[in-house]
Amino acid sequence: MRDDVRTLAAGFLRSAEYYPQRVALEVGGAKLTYQALYDAAKSLSKAILRNLSNDGPQLTAVLASRSVTAYAGVLGSLLAGHGYVPLNPSFPPERTNAMLRRSECRSLIVDAAAQSQLDQVLVNLTEPMVVILPECTGEIGEYTARWPKHRFVDAGELEHNSTDAPQQPSAAANAVAYLLFTSGSTGVPKGVAVAHRNVVHFVQAAVERYKIDEFDRFSQTFDLTFDLSAFDMFLAWERGACVCCPPRKALLNPAQFIRDSRLTIWFSVPSVALMMRQLGALKPAAFPTLRWSLFCGEALPADLAAAWAEAAPQSIVENLYGPTEVTIACTAYRWGGLSAPECEHNIVPIGYPLAGMKTLIADNNLREVPPGQEGELLMAGPQVSLGYWRDAEKTADRFVVPPDTELTYYRTGDRVCRPTSDGPLLFRGRLDHQIKVQGYRVELQEIEALLKQEAGVDLAIAVAWPLRSSSAGGIEAFMTAGPVHVDAVRERLKARLPSYAVPRKIHVIDCWPLNSNGKIDRGQLLKLLEAGL
Amino acid sequence: MSSGSGEYVRSLILARLEQPMVEMGLEPAAITDDFDLLTSGIVDSLGVVELIGAIEQQLGIALDLSELDPESLTTVGPLSRYIETQYLQSVHARRSA
Repeated sequence: MRDDVRTLAAGFLRSAEYYPQRVALEVGGAKLTYQALYDAAKSLSKAILRNLSNDGPQLTAVLASRSVTAYAGVLGSLLAGHGYVPLNPSFPPERTNAMLRRSECRSLIVDAAAQSQLDQVLVNLTEPMVVILPECTGEIGEYTARWPKHRFVDAGELEHNSTDAPQQPSAAANAVAYLLFTSGSTGVPKGVAVAHRNVVHFVQAAVERYKIDEFDRFSQTFDLTFDLSAFDMFLAWERGACVCCPPRKALLNPAQFIRDSRLTIWFSVPSVALMMRQLGALKPAAFPTLRWSLFCGEALPADLAAAWAEAAPQSIVENLYGPTEVTIACTAYRWGGLSAPECEHNIVPIGYPLAGMKTLIADNNLREVPPGQEGELLMAGPQVSLGYWRDAEKTADRFVVPPDTELTYYRTGDRVCRPTSDGPLLFRGRLDHQIKVQGYRVELQEIEALLKQEAGVDLAIAVAWPLRSSSAGGIEAFMTAGPVHVDAVRERLKARLPSYAVPRKIHVIDCWPLNSNGKIDRGQLLKLLEAGL
Repeated sequence: MSSGSGEYVRSLILARLEQPMVEMGLEPAAITDDFDLLTSGIVDSLGVVELIGAIEQQLGIALDLSELDPESLTTVGPLSRYIETQYLQSVHARRSA
């Protein structure tokens, strides 16, 4: 078997052949059959290939959200033999621009809603770009006049042709399937490069685990910039099922969406379920159509799992765990009648490694700790990704071959307890200052680095606040007084960080609480917030 | 103004969100019924939940907003009126109990 036969697009293409008239995607009031989505994706892939010279990485950026263009863009990139680089229109354009430059993409697909950001997103790009605007029918001349270096393609120029035989893209198994940017501790977002073989392994194992068939209907609660979105898309499309993408606002109270869309598979961060419970939506048997209820991205409180299991009594509840670097999810815990004693501090265990994956719970020297002891969780196996994009140093730091092994393990930075017998893994916290805000991964050091830059101060500390049972509600920050007013600093952070990472409040203090080592005592800072400051 | 009337709930909401509104240069008294708290950036999704929690505390009832469409959930007028309806139902239930 050749190394490059199976790419992430292959499952979709096979479903498009078997089930051309089944619905593949529901988004923004539109229902797209496999044939229609394939046609839309193919026209984008042709535009990429026709306009692009062959130098530069085989990557296409997709600046689109919850639109046909977003999903056709993902598939179109893959059909062109490119990896996709999702960019989030709800992030500040300045941040999107930084990611675009860092990715070195030469092609960009933009939906109508994100088009207004184009002028900010395209600044300071050194290489000419192919900018594809599938929903643009008018003002393309203006863009061309303003940005003569770049080539713009509008709806009229995209070629719609459904009569060709399916085109099988070729890409090496090690080629990048998607490149996702996450918070970076130095203040620059870091790109995680995930290969076709990583995702294909996950998808093939997961469609078996969850027994996916063409009648399944998946939620898509995640933005494309969250790798868990790939779970919904590629599991569904592997088996001819449908992805149901609600408008962003519906996620505030998705009970109606679950019922109206007759979902069979629910997948979200626990925060969404927490919100639903707060609004009174988790009533017994409220969601009879669900057969799987999956949670990932932050700690799952046990009482929430129990409430959800009652609300969706026909479904199996699972808590999944997995950093982006190890492709979507690498361990899982199935909630059941005997789960309560296995939970710790009301938190559901992260469970057991998924098919093909191996764990190692190690000390600082990467030696395995004895059973019952706490250590850092390391993961090895076919889902361990390629590493950080254009950053060999960071990659070497986190992707390691521990002594006594020959496998490359990813150091997750998560503290877990090594089970004594065949018990499940229990998540105990982080070894660094990475936190989750409503499921989003944030490096507090990134916020501190930007705060220092923008405020012109030497000392700034960001903390997760308020703390909730699953993850942080937000962030607050402390800094010493500097030359720039706090409001101005906050405005600048808004331009550089996604909204969930912008400190809700910045407190100026001149007397820092120190611990016995003379370091800033973060615990004392939290106490200040608790006391109402 | 009786406790639980749409107007009263509205005033609770505006009082609670006065600070972020003023920070954004908005005059709470001038907020119209169709003002969307979320898209305007006054609150984020967690803020919506915190707001609901605070109103529940002040009214002394548990709200069931599961049937309220997400659009109304974050819009001042519809949210106030929906909560009012729930409040009146709960008062009625308590009286007849």
